Amino acid sequence: MDPIVTCRGLSKTFGKGELAVHALRDVDLDIMPGDIATLAGPSGSGKTTLLNMIGALDEPTSGEVSVGGQPLSGISRSGLSDLRLSKIGFVFQSYNLIPVLSARENIEFVLQLQGVSGSERHDRAMEAIKEVGLAGMEDRRPGKMSGGQQQRVAVARALVSRPTIVLADEPTANLDSKNALELVDLMRNLNREHGTTFLIGTHDVRVMEHSMRHIEMVDGRIDNDARSSA
Amino acid sequence: MIDGLNTMLPLAWRNLWRNPRRTGITLIVVAIGVWSILFFNAFMIAWAKSSKETTLQLLLGSGQIHAEGYMDDPSIEKLMDPPDLDLTSALDLPAVADWTTRVVVPGVVQSEYKTLPATIVGVDPTAEARISSIPGKIAEGRYLNSSDDDSAVLGLHMVERLKTGLGRRVILMSQNTAGAMSEQSFDVVGIYDADKATEDLYVFTGRAASQAFLGLEGEIAQIVFVLQEEMALEDTIAAMADAAPDLDVRSWRDLNLFLASMDSYMRVFIHVWLGIVFALMAIGIINTQLMAVFERTQEFGLLRALGMKPRRVLLMVTIENALLIGVGVLLGMAMAAVTIWSVSDGIDFSAFARAMEMVQTGEIIYLDYEPDAFILFPGLIWLLGILVALWPARRASNCRPVDAMRRET
Ligand SMILES: Nc1ncnc2c1ncn2[C@@H]1O[C@H](COP(=O)(O)OP(=O)(O)OP(=O)(O)O)[C@@H](O)[C@H]1O
Ligand SMILES: [Mg+2]
Repeated sequence: MDPIVTCRGLSKTFGKGELAVHALRDVDLDIMPGDIATLAGPSGSGKTTLLNMIGALDEPTSGEVSVGGQPLSGISRSGLSDLRLSKIGFVFQSYNLIPVLSARENIEFVLQLQGVSGSERHDRAMEAIKEVGLAGMEDRRPGKMSGGQQQRVAVARALVSRPTIVLADEPTANLDSKNALELVDLMRNLNREHGTTFLIGTHDVRVMEHSMRHIEMVDGRIDNDARSSA
Repeated sequence: MIDGLNTMLPLAWRNLWRNPRRTGITLIVVAIGVWSILFFNAFMIAWAKSSKETTLQLLLGSGQIHAEGYMDDPSIEKLMDPPDLDLTSALDLPAVADWTTRVVVPGVVQSEYKTLPATIVGVDPTAEARISSIPGKIAEGRYLNSSDDDSAVLGLHMVERLKTGLGRRVILMSQNTAGAMSEQSFDVVGIYDADKATEDLYVFTGRAASQAFLGLEGEIAQIVFVLQEEMALEDTIAAMADAAPDLDVRSWRDLNLFLASMDSYMRVFIHVWLGIVFALMAIGIINTQLMAVFERTQEFGLLRALGMKPRRVLLMVTIENALLIGVGVLLGMAMAAVTIWSVSDGIDFSAFARAMEMVQTGEIIYLDYEPDAFILFPGLIWLLGILVALWPARRASNCRPVDAMRRET
C-alpha cells in the first residue's frame, strides 16, 4: 500500500540568524491509509509545525510533503485551498466552528464550498451528526454546546468531506477526562469502521493509549515511531 | 455562484448582528450621512426654488422685452412703442399666463429732508397685480387705483429714509423727452413691504400718469410677462423674438444672472457636502470594519484553513459590507423621508428671510421629495461605501491560516 502522506527531508526554520528557531529538522515520515497515529513530544518539539506542513497551511523551508501522492510544493495559494478542502480534515484545539452557524450548518459549510448540492448537503451533514452522537443538536450554535460537543462537530465536519487524512492538533486539550475519552473513542471507532486516517498531535496519554502508532518528537526531529496493537 | 450567494447571504446577515455595537455605529454613521445629504439636497433645492419664485414674482416675471440698448442705458431715449399686433399675438400665446407694460426710468425722489435716487415705475395696477407680488405687499395705505392714478407708492425703508409718510407728498424728478428735467409732486398713498433693496429702489405710480409726467406719448420701457410653465421658456422667448426682431427679448436667466447661476452654485454646494459626508463616512466604515476584521482573524484563518479561497473570503466580507451599508442607507432614506414629510407644511423662514433681506427668499419653504436624488445619492453612497470597505475586506481575505491559529495559544 502506498502511503497517504509522505514527508521527505522536511525542515522548517522560523526567523533568521541568531533568532532562528529550527522547528523541524530533516523529518521523514510516511502515514499509511487507515493509520491512527499520535504525534507526541514536549512543548515546542514541532508537533504543530509538522501538522501545519502536512495540512498545507504553511510551507516548509526545505524538503517535500506529498498528500495522496501529490507534492505540495509549487501549488498556488488557491490550489492549496482546494487541496485542503478536498483531502484534509482539520480538528483544532479550539475555535473550530463558525460561531454564527449551527452545528449542521458548520458541517454543511465545507460541503457547500465543495459544491455539493443542497439536499445532499443536508443529508450528509445529518448523517455525520448522527455518527458523532449529536443527533438532536444539529440546530445549536457553537456557543450553546459544550467543548466536547463542539469538538465532535469539528470531527463530523472533518469527516463529512471524506478526506484523505484528518489532522487533529490537541483536540482534547480543552476537554475534561470524560469528554476527552469520548472524543478518542469516537475517532477510534471512525477509524475502525470507515478506515479514516488520523494524525493527532497531543500531550494526552489517553489519546496515545487508543492509537496504534506513536510518533515521538523531540527538538524538531522524530525520536521514536512505534506501532502498537491498541 | 448563485448557490454561493444563497449560503453567504444568511451568513453575512448573521455576522452583522454579532457585534451589535459596532454594527450600530456603522449603521448610524451611514444613515446620518445619507439623511443629511438627502435633507440638505431637498432643502437647497426648495430654497433655491423659493428664492427664484419670490424674485420672479416680485417684478422680474419670466422674461422682459425692451428696446434695443435699454438694458445698457435705461434712459428716456431708449423707450419703445407698445406691442404691435405681431408681438401682441405672441404675448397672447397660451404658454403666457399674463403680461403687462411698464414705464421704467431712473430718477430721484425728494422729501423735505432728503433726496434719494430711485427708479420710477409706471404701472397698470390691474395687470400689475396679476404679475407682481408688490401690489399684495402694501403695509400701509393702498396700491394704485388705475393707470391714471398720479399718486405714489413707496417702499417702507425708503419712506423711513425720506422721513416721509402716508398722506405726505414727495417730488419725483426725471429727464423728460425734451431733454429737460421734469418734476412733479405726488401724494404718498401706499407703503409696500418687500426686501430692503427693492424698497430702496422702486417708486410706483400709474403708467399713464408717468407718461404724462415725462411727456411721453404712449411709449413704454418694458413689457413683462409670466409663463404658465417654466418648461416653455425657451420656445416662448424664441416666438417673441421672432415677432419683434427689433426688440431685446430676454428670459429671467439673462436678466438676473445671480439667480440663473444659483442652480449651478447649489449643485456645487451639494456635491461638496456629499464629498465631506462621504469622507467622514468612509473613515467611519474603514475604522469599524478594520476592527471587525482584526477581531475575526481567527475566524478568517479557520475559513482559509477549511479551504475557502481568498477571493471567496473577500466576496463574503464584501457581501457583509454591502448588507451593512445597504441597511444604513435604507435607514437614512427612511429618516430623510420622515423628516421631509414632517415639514411638508413648510418651514417658516420668515425670521431668516427678514434677516437676509439681501437675498430674496420665500418666507415659507416647502421641501419636496426628489425621486432622482432619493435613488442617486443613496446608490452612490452605497457603492462608494462598498468600495472603501474593500480595503478591510482584502485584509480579511489575506489572513494566513497559521497566523490565525497561533493567536489562540
Ligand atoms: N510562526 C512562528 N514563528 C516563530 N517561531 C515559531 C512559529 N511557529 C512555531 N514556532 C516555534 O517552533 C517551535 C515548534 O513549535 P510548535 O508549535 O510546532 O511546537 P509544538 O510541539 O506544537 O508545541 P506545543 O506542544 O506547545 O503545542 C517552537 O519553538 C515554537 O516557538
Ligand atoms: Mg502545538
